[in-house]
This record gives sequence, structure tokens and C-alpha cells, in this order.
Amino acid sequence: MRFSPKKFFVSNSFTRKLHKGYLYVFLLPSLGFIVVFFLIPVILTFLIGLTKMDYSFRWDWIGLGNYIYILRDKWAYKILGNTLFYVFTTLAFFNVGMALFISIATTHINDKIGSIFRSIWLLPRITPSTVYALLWLWAARGEANSLFNWLTSIFGLHPIDWKLTYPWLLVILVNGFVGTSFGMIIFTAALKSIPEDYIRAAKVDGASTLQIIRYVELPLIKWPLLFVTAYQTLSLLTSYEYILLVTDGGPGLYTTEVWALYSYHLAFAQYGGIVKFGYGAALATILVIIGLIMSVIYWKVFRFRELMVEPKIEV
Amino acid sequence: MVSVKLVNLSKYFHNVKAVDNLNLEIKDGEFVALLGPSGCGKTTTLLMIAGIYKPTNGYIYFDNRLMNDVPPKDRNVGMVFQSYALYPHMSVFDNIAFPLKLKKRPKDEIRRKVKEVADLLGIGELLDRKPSQLSGGQQQRVALARALVKEPDIFLMDEPLSNLDAKLRIQMRAELKKMQKTFKITTIYVTHDQVEAMTMADRIAVLNKGVLQQYGSPDELYNRPKNIFVAGFIGSVPMNFIRGALKRTNGDYILEGLDYLFKIPRTYHDVLKDIEVGTEVILGVRPEHVDIGFGEYSGKVYVVEPLGRDQIIHIDIGGEIIRALAPGDYKVEEGKDIKFSFKEDKIHIFDKKSGEAYI
Amino acid sequence: MRIVPLLKNSIVYIILLLVTLPIILLYTLLFLQSISVNLNGVIPNGFTLDHWSILSTGNIRVPGTTTQYYPNLYLVASNTFILAVIIAFTEVVLSSLAGYALSRYKFAGRSQILTLTLILHAFPGITLLIALFYVLNALGLYNSLIGVVIVKVALDLPLGIWIMKGFFDGIPWDIEMSALVDGCSRLGAWWRVIMPNVRNGLMAVLIFGFLSGWSEFIYVLTFIASQDYWTFSMFVYALTTGEYSYINPGITATVAIIYMIPVIIFFLFAQKYLLRIQIAGKSTV
Repeated sequence: MRFSPKKFFVSNSFTRKLHKGYLYVFLLPSLGFIVVFFLIPVILTFLIGLTKMDYSFRWDWIGLGNYIYILRDKWAYKILGNTLFYVFTTLAFFNVGMALFISIATTHINDKIGSIFRSIWLLPRITPSTVYALLWLWAARGEANSLFNWLTSIFGLHPIDWKLTYPWLLVILVNGFVGTSFGMIIFTAALKSIPEDYIRAAKVDGASTLQIIRYVELPLIKWPLLFVTAYQTLSLLTSYEYILLVTDGGPGLYTTEVWALYSYHLAFAQYGGIVKFGYGAALATILVIIGLIMSVIYWKVFRFRELMVEPKIEV
Repeated sequence: MVSVKLVNLSKYFHNVKAVDNLNLEIKDGEFVALLGPSGCGKTTTLLMIAGIYKPTNGYIYFDNRLMNDVPPKDRNVGMVFQSYALYPHMSVFDNIAFPLKLKKRPKDEIRRKVKEVADLLGIGELLDRKPSQLSGGQQQRVALARALVKEPDIFLMDEPLSNLDAKLRIQMRAELKKMQKTFKITTIYVTHDQVEAMTMADRIAVLNKGVLQQYGSPDELYNRPKNIFVAGFIGSVPMNFIRGALKRTNGDYILEGLDYLFKIPRTYHDVLKDIEVGTEVILGVRPEHVDIGFGEYSGKVYVVEPLGRDQIIHIDIGGEIIRALAPGDYKVEEGKDIKFSFKEDKIHIFDKKSGEAYI
Repeated sequence: MRIVPLLKNSIVYIILLLVTLPIILLYTLLFLQSISVNLNGVIPNGFTLDHWSILSTGNIRVPGTTTQYYPNLYLVASNTFILAVIIAFTEVVLSSLAGYALSRYKFAGRSQILTLTLILHAFPGITLLIALFYVLNALGLYNSLIGVVIVKVALDLPLGIWIMKGFFDGIPWDIEMSALVDGCSRLGAWWRVIMPNVRNGLMAVLIFGFLSGWSEFIYVLTFIASQDYWTFSMFVYALTTGEYSYINPGITATVAIIYMIPVIIFFLFAQKYLLRIQIAGKSTV
């Protein structure tokens, strides 16, 4: 299987001309995919948001009608509150909090055992979402023999249906145990890259382990901390897959519904077949705009530009 | 073998002039060193000769053939990189054989030639290993073998010894020189180490900030530096530079500094007669050309650095410190007065503003 | 004398174990469920291999009915596998080509394309679901696996390109220069010297693409209507919460474990690649 470019590009001056030519072969397929199925949908989301499109796919323009309707939509306020609660609680307790704890704890104990713990925390991330949600749903069932009820019965508590009684707890646990791994990996890498000399110097100066963590390690992983926080805020804000699988926004009306899920429900899961692509797209547009702004902020703040090294060969 | 000619060669990166209007001729079979501090444009020049970079302006000739638009693969040059640039996924054998495979040579010929060059360089036993299993010195030899095996017209080396330890470097210096003389391959050798350039090269081109400072034999550079940059760059113990103004008293030229006066020998008066009196100049004299213990000048011993065979004596002359190289067993005491003089035919005088040498 | 640090250490171990316990219990439960008659908490009441008998025919009947069947397990498995493999290979080929061009060539528009990819790689594609539905419908790709493949590839590509570009950036320029001097053309150097040295990157993108396709749920749920094109995710979803949601949990657990096989393989043997993705990449949550 030898690749022979000579077959295609014969003489030197010819190669030089075609140089740009094969570059297009390298780039165009990817660009095509990204433009048609990524960039155009960004614009389409915005445009559909200006219509009251339904399953007939007709472009009935209503200007900013959908956005005015959001302001009058009493559910929108509740859902906005839900979303903020969900994002910040999950972020604080798991995606940043737990991630920080796991990475600090596992880097201060025996390295082998530490990495086994980190591996276990990686498992929810790579488990298919439907299986992972299934595991929690089973554990939270109302029957006395479900995992949660079996555990609480040790303390003499009566069995309850956890999904109906504490839906938010379930939603946050399910998302949190998946979300921890991202921060955990970034923080662990950052902690491991701290030069050993800093730690030694602090020990020589008489610092305890906790003081080393507080005054040496944490300040040194400030940037990764900020990065994970910003990145995961956007992720949580736009994600709804696990909520859909676990509570589907319930129980009852919009108890655990979040913004992105609301948009999904309006477009794809309305009972009675009322499909509100237009309104759903308007809701999504708000997320798209937040997403674009935050992506650009990462670009600036985290100096992604520095990753754009200049090529060094000019043949 | 070929000669190389660079004509008005320039390379700009955005607005930075990496190489500026370089003219250089390298004779067939000659060993030329490009010498200068980091960022002086020497590696850029080498990569233009290899064909990796395209010149912004100017021409590159191999013999009389214009090479500007010839891609690297058709230039038949061999190159050794500072990092050695061995292909990590290939064995030593495959690394060395690579240029021949690309030339579609028959298998048995490749095998024979690789074996030959590997034995020559003493790495015949290592052919099955991967580059990561080799020491720095062995990797270096593999890189040399790979460059040699294709029997290149020109041999390019970019700081090939800088990653070796001091002892190995001295050994390889001699081996490389011997090899170059044996094969008589036109060689261009980039280095920032003036000792390497002085010991190995037939001629040295000194570059600074992309501009050629001087091109000549090691002897010329040492004895007749064209400017203060070359004078300061060449020499193991750097040349002394003594600031002052050129004055005339009683028909003699003198250098008048803060607290000191130096007489300039009469043999140089012809050269100096066109220079305006009062011009700021710099007197340059190498430490090995400062005689101590006797002479017309005096100063205080500031500090002594023993080097074993020699010692460097720093002499405070009031506002300037000058270094003198003395035999190791010469007895001096710090803080004591000391007499010294300059070897008359070995002094240099540079214009302070332009840095150009008058003498 | 060494008691104090030992005590401190064991407190750390205990806390770590406690917070990690839910994950360990959940997966233990899944395994036990598939081989037990019934479970009380994590204590099985009798072992059985009956649930695994679905492997013989692949047919699962809904208890209490005679007519309603889920699609055959093997059909679902092959759908999922085909989907994942096509996604993985397309992503590897496209992202390695584009990543190479962006990493190592100067051309007009390079920095714009780089900026675009790097911005998009952080952008949550899931918010575009309605527009994607519109596009797929307009192209006649609604209710087809191809549609899901295309959407997945497009949304994963910025990340893939970004990862591959990182690997290409990591190859010293000296090595490519050396290949050119040794007699390669630029394309020759790409194939003979560059590509063999980004194997880890190719593996990483391949595994990422495969797992991402294998696990995909939302796009299948939204863009696939017919049971003939179901993948494992839909199958498990239907067994858990779908219309015919009552079913023997042992069978559901068995199907879930079968679904997990590639995940477990990669988890045990290719974790270094997975970690690489995680460090370079975004998360889905």
C-alpha cells in the first residue's frame, strides 16, 4: 500500500502550481461537512426562530414574535430558574468541587491506587447515556429492594420513590457523576505538572500538606480551574440528554425542565402532535448566542491563538 | 562535488530580516562555517540552501545552476540537524537506508552501502535498534550516516555537536574534519561556537543580525577582524576593548580614556592621519597580547582566574578592567600594582560609532 | 510515631472510597442483575443464566402480549456497529487530512479556518437540533443512518481536527525537513514520515469516534423513526422507559451489558487514548 504522489504530480514546477490544489483535497471534505451541517444550522436556528414553523416546514415569518412570547411565557421564568439552579449546583458540587477533591486526593496517595480511583470516575463518562441513566433509575426505584432504599433501610428509613420525592437530587447526582471526570483529568494533569521543587521548597519551609495544597498547588492551577469552570458552565447550560432520560423534565409539569430540554420538548415531544419548531428554535437561539459568545471568550481568555504555530517549511 | 554561490540572498519573516543581502561563495570541496550568535540568520541561510525555505530575494547557485526553484529532494544535499531528526518509527538501518530507498536503488546495493557507511562510523552493531534506544553520540552518528549514504554534493550541518557532552564534542570535531578532508565534500557548517568554527573550517562567515560581518580564513578573522563584532566574537578569552578619544600630542597619537593614556605605535600613523582628532575610538587588544611584569603602563591586580596551564589576570586601569593571559606559574597578588604593555603589532583600533576597524 | 500520617492517609482513603462507592455499586448492580433471579439491594436471591438466553435468537417478546416485538437484538447490534465504524473512519480520515493541512501549510485563509475550528470545537452542537432536523429533512436524510452519521461527523469534526492538529504540531519540523532533504516530496514526507508518527492521534480519534457513534442517543432518537434503524441506545431506552416499559430487568441488564462490551474493552485496554481525548476535548455534559 505505497502512496505515490509522483503519479499525480509529475514535474517540479507543476507540483508548485498544484501545491494549493492538493491542499483543497485535504481541507474541502471537512470544510464541506462543517459548513453544511454546522455553520448553516447555526444560521438556520436563528432564522427558524423568526417563524412559527411547524411540521409542515413552512416559513411563516413572525419577526421577533417568539421572543416576545418568551417574555409572556410563565413557564419560561420557572425553567430559567431551574436551569440556573441546575447549572450552578452541579458545577459547584461536582464538575468543579468533586473534580478538585478527587484530583487532589488521588495525587496525594499511592499513585497506583490514585489512578484506579480516577479510572473508576471515568467509567460513567464512557458508558452509553441510556445505560448509565438506567442504572440510576433502577437504584432510585420506589420498591424496598432498590439500591437506595436498601441502603437507607440500614438506618431504619422507609422506602420512598426517589425520582418522585427528590427529582432534583437525582438529576444532579446523575449529571454530576458524569461531569466530574472532565475537571478531574484537567486538574490531575495540572497538579502533576507542578515542578517537584516547589513542593520540596514548601516542605523545607515547614508547610503541612494542607498548607501546601492551599498555598502552593491551588494557586498554581488557577488557570485550569477557570478553564474548567467556564467550559463546564456552557456544557451544562446546553445539555439535557441525562435529564431527558431520567426525569424527562418531570415529575409533574416542568419540575426539572431546563432551557435546552424545553426547546427540545417544544420541537420534538409535544403531545397531540403540536410541533413548535419556531418557538423551540427561538429558545435554542438564545443558547446558540450564549455558546458563541462563550466560545469566543475561551478563544481570547485561554489564548487558543498561541496554538496557531506558523508553518516552517515553504516547499 | 559542487561549488555554492549565494547572490544578494535575503529572507524576511513578516518584517523581520532574518538574512539580509548575503553574498557568499563556497568553493568545491571547501569546508565553510557559518558562525554567529543565535538568531543571526545562519540556520535560515542553511535551510535556504537545502531548499526548505524560499529566499525572499536573491539567488542560490550550485555550480552555475540556479537552484531557487529546485525542491529539496532534487538538490542532492545531505543534512545533519541539531536535533539529529532521526525518524522515530524506523530502525537505524531504515533511517540510513531511507534516502537510497527514495532513489529506488536495488535492495542489495542499499544493504551494502548502509553497512559500509555504518561500519565507517562505528555503528554497524546498532542497525536493528530504534533511535530511542541510542545514546546522543550514537544518534549523531546515525544522522551523519544518513546524510553521507546518499553521496551528497553538499553536506549541510546545523550545530551537529551542540547536544553532545564536552569530551565527545572534541572527539567528533576531529572525526568530522578528517571525514570531510577524506571525502572532499563541499561542507557548510552552522555553529555558534567559535572554537568549532576556528578548528574545523577552511573559511568562516561571521553573521550578525542577518548581515555578513566578515568572510575569511580562521587566521584572517583572528588577526585582522574587520569590525568590533568579529573581534569580540572570535577568541577563547574575549578581546579587551578600551574606550577613549583619539588625541595628538608631540606628533604621537594617543588614546585618552577616563584615567588612562595609551600610546599608539608609529607604524599605524599613516592609517590614522585621516581621522579627526577627538574622535571616539576603541582600542582592542587580545589578552594573549598583553605582556605583564614590565612595560610602560601600570594598573592594579583586580582578580586572578587560574585556568591550569594559563591564568587570566584582571587589571584595573581606572575605569576599565583589562584581561591579560599569563603562564599559570606566574606569581601575582590581588591588590598589588602591576606593570604591563601591549604587543605593538597586535593592537586594533575601531571606530566607536560604526564599529569598523581602522587597524 | 508514624501513626499520625497513617491515620491522615486512611481518612483520605475512606472519603475517596465513600464518594466513589455509588459508581462501584451501580455497575456491580448491573452485572448482578443480569445473572440473578431477583435482587435485594446488592444481594442476589439465586443465580440464573436465563436472561442470557436472548443471545440464541435475539428476539425479545413483550410479556403479556403475543404480537409486540422489539427489533431483533442482532439487527440492532449490527446497526450500531455499522454506524460507529463509519463515523469513526470518516472522522479519522477527514480530521487527519484537515489537521495536517492546518498544522503544516501556509495558505490564504489558514488562520480563519483555524479560528473557526477552534471556536466551534467548544460549541455545543446539540443546540442545533431543530435546524439539523430541517436540513436532514430537506436533503431526504430523515430516518436514515446516513443522516445520523453525517450529523455526528460534522459536529465531532472540529474536535477531531483540533486533536489531530495537536499531534501534527507535535512532530518536530526537523524530521519533516530531513525527509525533504533525503529526497521526499512534501506529500511523500506526509505519508512516509509524518503519518507513522501520529499513530497515537489516529488511534485516539478512531476510538473517540467509535465510542461517540456507539453511544449516540439524542440524534438517533430525533432523526430515526423506524425500528429497523434502531441502535442499542434506542433499544435500551425503549426497554427502560419506552411505551412497553415493563420487562424483566434481568433481560434489560443483559442487553445493557452487551451494549457495554466495546466500552469495557476500550476502558480496560485503551484508556491512555481515552484520556488523551478528554484532555484535548470537550465533554458532552
